[in-house]
Amino acid sequence: MKNETSLTVNGMTYPVAIDSHATLLRAVRDDIGLTGTKEGCDDSECGACMMLIDGKPVNSCSYLAMQAVGRSLTTVEGLSSGEELSPLQQAFLTAGGVQCGFCTPGMLISATALLAATPHPTEEEVRIGLSGNLCRCTGYDGIVKAVLQVSSK
Amino acid sequence: MSILQHEVAQADYVRSDGHGKVTGSGQYTADLSFTGQAVAKFRYADHSHARVLRVDVSKARALPGVYAVITHDDVPEVKYGGMVQDRYLFAKDIVRFEGEIIAAVAAMNDEIAKLAVSLIEVDYEPLPAISDFVASMDPSSALIHEDWETDSRADELGSNRNTLGYSTIVKGDADAAMAKADHIVTGRYTTDPVQGVPIEPRAVIAQWQGNKVTIWSSTQVPYAARAGVATTLQIPQSDVRIVVPLLGGGFGAKCDFHFEGHIAALARAAKRPVKLVFTRHEEFFAIGHRREGMLIELETGVMNDGTLVARRARLVLDKGAYCGEGGFFAQMAAMHACGPYVIDTVNVHSFLNYSNNQPSSSIRAPTAPQVCWALEQHMDAIAKTIGMDPVALRMKTLIEEGAEGPTRQVFDYIGMKDSLTKAVEMIGYGQTLPDDEAIGIACGWWPCFAVESGAYFKLNHDGTGTIVTGAQENGTGSVMAMPKFVAEELGMDPKDISILYQDTDAAPWDMGSSGSQTTFNSVRAVLAAAAEVREQLLDAAAEALEAAREDLELVGGAVSVKGTPSKAVTIAELAAAGTFHGKGSGPLPESPAVQAEGCVGRLGMESFLAPQVFTHAVRVKVDRDTGVVRIVQVAAAHDSGAVLNPIGANGQVYGGVVMGIGQALSEGTILDKDGKQRNPGLLDYKLVTCSDAPPIDIAWVGRFTPDAGPRGSKGIGEPPSVPTAGAIANAIANVIGSPVCSLPMTPERVWETIQGAAL
Repeated sequence: MKNETSLTVNGMTYPVAIDSHATLLRAVRDDIGLTGTKEGCDDSECGACMMLIDGKPVNSCSYLAMQAVGRSLTTVEGLSSGEELSPLQQAFLTAGGVQCGFCTPGMLISATALLAATPHPTEEEVRIGLSGNLCRCTGYDGIVKAVLQVSSK
Repeated sequence: MSILQHEVAQADYVRSDGHGKVTGSGQYTADLSFTGQAVAKFRYADHSHARVLRVDVSKARALPGVYAVITHDDVPEVKYGGMVQDRYLFAKDIVRFEGEIIAAVAAMNDEIAKLAVSLIEVDYEPLPAISDFVASMDPSSALIHEDWETDSRADELGSNRNTLGYSTIVKGDADAAMAKADHIVTGRYTTDPVQGVPIEPRAVIAQWQGNKVTIWSSTQVPYAARAGVATTLQIPQSDVRIVVPLLGGGFGAKCDFHFEGHIAALARAAKRPVKLVFTRHEEFFAIGHRREGMLIELETGVMNDGTLVARRARLVLDKGAYCGEGGFFAQMAAMHACGPYVIDTVNVHSFLNYSNNQPSSSIRAPTAPQVCWALEQHMDAIAKTIGMDPVALRMKTLIEEGAEGPTRQVFDYIGMKDSLTKAVEMIGYGQTLPDDEAIGIACGWWPCFAVESGAYFKLNHDGTGTIVTGAQENGTGSVMAMPKFVAEELGMDPKDISILYQDTDAAPWDMGSSGSQTTFNSVRAVLAAAAEVREQLLDAAAEALEAAREDLELVGGAVSVKGTPSKAVTIAELAAAGTFHGKGSGPLPESPAVQAEGCVGRLGMESFLAPQVFTHAVRVKVDRDTGVVRIVQVAAAHDSGAVLNPIGANGQVYGGVVMGIGQALSEGTILDKDGKQRNPGLLDYKLVTCSDAPPIDIAWVGRFTPDAGPRGSKGIGEPPSVPTAGAIANAIANVIGSPVCSLPMTPERVWETIQGAAL
């Protein structure tokens, strides 16, 4: 059954009709058309689908869209302001944190949440904070360096 | 000769696909959608070996919302495959592994497609499933491909019943040398299959316009995909266009032609665009592409001073159900059973066997990590036998300039021993460690592959430029680095150069992203194309400036008279007034000479062009109560020739080492007795996470190599995943006193080895 409701993503409210059983990931990708958030496993194992819900990182593949009604959602598309990349986005590029890029949106979301909660994390805190996001390309080195670079500024 | 690091400023060079990747605006295949598109689902086999007696799709076809259901009856009767064509798109009469496709459905949405798949009726006569790939070569074993003798290359491959390929490396009389050795050391090792696991599950979309089909696919090899579609659907390659949007990793798992043919046929039948997106479960069991399990038996004759006088080996590799592009694996594995060592005599036999397991094909340095893992443990066992330090034994026996390899290839300068020296230094070899920690080392090698490539370069009227290349960017950055190299040739800013890539209608044929050869071959072609434009610019500038051509230089976006920068014409001015475009391929390096007359199953791997050589040293901590191994530190020293793009090259080492740690400790596909996967998901097939990954130190010991690729570079994509598991194995053995002879070295296996050693 379709529910006429609305979702607020990156500060914009979208009227949507969503199935009760639809995941938040499907609603945002297919109904709203923001495809920056990726599906890697549909099982909360890889973290590619991470979004912020009221500032908290969530695997959107395992979260019902209806649960997100009335909450504030942030996807990778909402991390930069206009054409200006966020410091994390910029650091991911210059520190070698991006290769194939498929884990990048989820990784950036997790890193954003980590720095919001812990502005100056140790390397161990960064590594634990990002351990819900799998990356197969970088060995995590450039990603950890990027987060530490941003947090030390 | 000093170590080469290219002089270009690197710090601010950002890959041109980077902005889209960090903002979410970059599109991968699954991000695309088309008006009226249908969803595709496959019906897979219900057995891993069975005769198909009846397939009835009538109920599925009758379901409202189903646009098409197709089977073998709906496509041409054509087999495909690499060296051996042994497979149909859809099962014809036999299914040979659990991921075999019986039928494909195109429907309005996911739910209807799934329901339609469940309505397809299939009757089978189950056949004995042969999961044991060693037993499959027994003469009494049932045949997996009954018509193996009719394969066109059976003779060349040394095929025999369920053995698809047989290769030997033979040098001198190993039996006689073995008889005279001071010691004979033996070892037996087994490895589980391993998956590539790109984070992007594969996706394919096909859309027909008239007789021409465009296919968007997450493939590493668009030209091979095009050829596969043309072959299986019996249409000209000019009617097939493969476009690869951003590719979310591959690691070999997205090499080869796989599902583009099914989806093209389905879209034709459905009369609308059809989109396939794999689930993670399918990404494990349904792809004909994983790293092969192996049995590795090694025997070495050694003198008391460490001289290796003889190596005998028997290797058995699990090919799984179909050949795919892995027909050369037996010979590649045999070369790795010799390794980068000077051995007086060699006799290696390598068998590539069919089974009813998932097909194995190239995953990042196919065959090498497993054999290297075994061989490097064997080298430590040899050192222990003669009471020699493992580093000293390797320093004595590793290849160097002028040394002769297993096929009597004589090496030019090679940084093999330099890599050992550097890795040992970085890890602090010999330091006193707590009794639950130890250091292990492993050395390895991997060839460069010389392959044809072609590229275009053109200037736009505003002085910017566009590279047109068939090369495939799988994430490594090797295509993204091309603007930098062209900019250096032409005195331009890399930001002013765009790339048209991953479109088979645009660029000449390219091998794609495989074999660590994008820079080696595709950049060679791009540089040749840029060189033509350079000549055109010099001609035009000489005329415009009324200067002699040889007095001109290209710098800062202009052509100017050397020493008189004011006398110049900008590239933009020249470009606005003319058509500047070049094409090129560049000279193909020749394979080094070998004497391999005694070898059979020669498929070209007996000659290692511009070998990439490397040593990894690893410090581990072992919990003896649980068998859990923690990697404390990794030092990786590589000779990949000149390093052209450090951020890219380092990225390959960081990623390859961590993939190697996964292969060493946690990654292994578990098969049941019928060859069905028992852990086809990320919960039970464990990748290394950020919190498990250790600090990694990298050293580049490469020097200019005469037969190397562009600017003295060699490949780097595959090697970093090769020696890590071997180094970890040796470190574990140094802690617990005994080798773990099964890969992955899971806590259970480490614990069992500890218990066995204590008995």
